[in-house]
Amino acid sequence: MAGILSTQNVKAGYNDVIIIHDVSLEVACGEIVAILGPNGSGKSTFIKCILGFAKLFDGNVLYDGNIITGITSDKAVSMGISYVPQINNVFPNLTISENLDIGAYHRSNKSEIKNSISEIFDMFPELAVKKKNLAGNLSGGERQMLAIARAIMAQPKVLLLDEPFASLSPKPIAVILSKLTSIKQNGIAIMMVEQNVREALSISDRGYVLVNGSCVMSGNSDSLFAEEFSRQKFLGLEEKKFDRNKFRVHNDS
Amino acid sequence: MSLMLICDDLMNVNWIQILLNSAVTGSLYLIGAVGLTVTYGLSGFPNFAHAEFLTLGAFIGFWIAEDIGAPLPVAFIVAFLITGIISVLCYRFIFQPLAKKGASTIHLMVASIALGFIIRYSIGAVWSWTPMYFSIKWPSYIVGSVRIAGQWSLLIVVALVLAFSMHLILIKTRIGKAIRASSSNPDLALASGINVGRIILITWFAGAGLAAVAGIFRAVNTQIWPLTGWDIILPIFAVVVLGGIGNYYGAIAAAFIIGLAENVGVVFLTSIGLSTEYRMAIAFIIIVITLIVKPQGLAMLFRRG
Repeated sequence: MAGILSTQNVKAGYNDVIIIHDVSLEVACGEIVAILGPNGSGKSTFIKCILGFAKLFDGNVLYDGNIITGITSDKAVSMGISYVPQINNVFPNLTISENLDIGAYHRSNKSEIKNSISEIFDMFPELAVKKKNLAGNLSGGERQMLAIARAIMAQPKVLLLDEPFASLSPKPIAVILSKLTSIKQNGIAIMMVEQNVREALSISDRGYVLVNGSCVMSGNSDSLFAEEFSRQKFLGLEEKKFDRNKFRVHNDS
Repeated sequence: MSLMLICDDLMNVNWIQILLNSAVTGSLYLIGAVGLTVTYGLSGFPNFAHAEFLTLGAFIGFWIAEDIGAPLPVAFIVAFLITGIISVLCYRFIFQPLAKKGASTIHLMVASIALGFIIRYSIGAVWSWTPMYFSIKWPSYIVGSVRIAGQWSLLIVVALVLAFSMHLILIKTRIGKAIRASSSNPDLALASGINVGRIILITWFAGAGLAAVAGIFRAVNTQIWPLTGWDIILPIFAVVVLGGIGNYYGAIAAAFIIGLAENVGVVFLTSIGLSTEYRMAIAFIIIVITLIVKPQGLAMLFRRG
């Protein structure tokens, strides 16, 4: 599969401090890629540098074969790249419906936007019943769903997720896993930074492991699990025997 | 003065008139403060030069209405537009470059104070420091025990129309939702495809334009001189702080609360034999109490703001 979004030897960080060193990776249409690694490994910085929220010192970002290095996030959205930050990822003073309207901000066709909102509510019935509620009143899981729904309203080709399972209990995590699988089935590429290795690898096709800002390992998700060294050294999975299939999300639709 | 005498004085006050006066004061503060609270919320610093936008608007209005002889509505529109454009230029060429170079809130605030001085003394140099007065004669009406001046009713109507139309814009329109979203979380707004820089410029334009309208009303009611705006910047800041920085609905409530507090305060000051000059202290006291007790002001009551 050809990569819809890729980076080439990216160096990035904040102010004058370089955190990411020569990272090259890619995600293809309809693929989920997990970026894993311990705390402080630079995973979030990497995803932020793609959209200009972190400083990109060197290297290139390519989207659909074109160099988009240094693009601002508002322009990236209109090109087809949506981003869901780890925290503060909804507008708490706006209702659920208004958050979705903002997600479609760059779109102009009102009837298409209306249709998209209906589709979103079909996909996230949990949000439909509370559409007039302020986002600030939602639970953690509902907020995360709304954040992802807001990002999808932009009709992206690539969805960048920064730790979508952080601070969530197992039940909302399972719901979001199934939603992400549905999104993938719609042909949207997902690049996901995550610390919950088991959950991330349970739905991803491939994974990259970042340590101290460098990519130390990559491969398909099964092989990353199978690799004893990576499990113990980078993924922190040495304590438990892990059955990956247990976490597989079955989506009958 | 004994407590009995004070109570007697208070009993004899025309409280309906005080309520009307409070609505007039609140309307003025609302029109003057809306722009400040929205730009404060979006740009992240208190623009002290906002006072000079009131003054500038008042002088432009005076020039159009008195020197050129155009009707007052034309003066309002021209003052709105020119002051709005000057405000956008100030943001674009002073505050935005400073913010891009990493200026902190304090740096930007000090820059706004400096800009205020420059505008204030430039106005003094161009138009003089001698107080002037609008020559328009407004009719007065007596309804029961209440006197209503023509300019007061116009001021209240403008404030009500503004409050309602701003509500419709913020809730119903795409740009209004973008303003609320950008004020709430600029980075997420940017990541949602909103051109936050353009939203900020729009709010600076409209906010300063409204300040100009408030400046004309202030000048029509009192006098016009280079401190026309500065004279009421304290209660305007009190509205912003009490309403919750960046919160439009909080600002509406706060404007009328402060208008009422000032007018009732003046009655009490008079009844205990103190000068009404202390009325400005009322706004200051409200700012201090709000910051100590509830720094977020009324924002928690108006979460859609």
